[in-house]
Amino acid sequence: MANDPIHQFQIKDLAGPVNIGGYDISFTNSALFMGIAVASITAFLWYASRKQALVPDRTQSVGELWYGMIHSMVKNVLHEEGMKFFPLVFSLFSFVLVANMLGMFPYFFTVTSHVVVTAALAVFVVGLVVVVGIWKHGLGWFKLFVPSGVPIVILPFISLIEIISFLSRPISLGLRLFGNMLAGHIVLKVFSGFVVSLVALGIGGIVGAIAPLAMAVALTALEFLVAFLQAFVFAILTCVYLNDALHTHH
Amino acid sequence: MAEPRKPHAPKKDAGPELGEFSDRLKNLSDRIAAEKVEQAGTQKPSENFQAATAYSKGYRLASEFVAGVLVGGLLGYGLDWLLGTLPLFLIVLLLFGFAAGILNMSRAANRSQPTAEELKKMTPPRADDEEED
Repeated sequence: MANDPIHQFQIKDLAGPVNIGGYDISFTNSALFMGIAVASITAFLWYASRKQALVPDRTQSVGELWYGMIHSMVKNVLHEEGMKFFPLVFSLFSFVLVANMLGMFPYFFTVTSHVVVTAALAVFVVGLVVVVGIWKHGLGWFKLFVPSGVPIVILPFISLIEIISFLSRPISLGLRLFGNMLAGHIVLKVFSGFVVSLVALGIGGIVGAIAPLAMAVALTALEFLVAFLQAFVFAILTCVYLNDALHTHH
Repeated sequence: MAEPRKPHAPKKDAGPELGEFSDRLKNLSDRIAAEKVEQAGTQKPSENFQAATAYSKGYRLASEFVAGVLVGGLLGYGLDWLLGTLPLFLIVLLLFGFAAGILNMSRAANRSQPTAEELKKMTPPRADDEEED
């Protein structure tokens, strides 16, 4: 079917199946677009910083804005001691942002609309939080789950709630990005599909198609906003979680 | 933090060209100085980024809650699957998941307030914590 809204998310094998140790590691369109995202980030940032002029030209100032925005955000949330995480946060933000933006091109594949990708990023971030927390505070980090000043009677319940709350971090982090991208692209496709089906009906349909067309235009703008916003939210939550790991306050 | 821009000072009568320019220059440097003082005072230039938009905030709160419930339910289902007591832990941990979701949500809502102030007030972890366990 031509306007099946889910069709755009299909994973396709591009170079034939490759199996190693029972795992399918074929080169898919998802992998291709991840590669394109990384390559375009690298190429752009290299191109933007090639001159290092005192008075930046347009490309350089875009690069500087990009860098400066994340730099000030990391500094605000993590302060001076957390600046060693800046490369990580910057890479995460750039990857998610460019993957989202690439998905806005027609016929391009949206890497972040697959829960496997976003969940892998989120589990990596929360895993890092655990490692940093234990490295920084030793086993005392687990006091995070045992808040002080709670009566011993209800302490097990509170601890269980805290543990569930902590475990839900990667879920909410990954699910939010995935859900936003998936839902946005489906809605966009559905409205565009309305236009196509209505126009096929004839003159009355063409008049009727104006409303969904306007909606699709507006949604495209909204999707660009969401693509940026979700990348930023992902980065800022990474910072917030890392900050929690650096300063355990319970 | 946006400072209300002052309208241009009314042109003085009988002012020669140079006088007007130096007036404007002084006006500008005053405004820059005021802006700098303000920037140094608040030291949070990207507050608007943290607030982002109402849309992302709302979506964030909702997803925090859903994630709590989901994790609770999944943990319960996993325990039941291991122990073969199907509805028991699913129900219990689902309820705990609701609680964790609410906790997540309230934390996320509190977190959108400025953190710098909070961190300053925060004391380092106490060394004399009672060792009950």
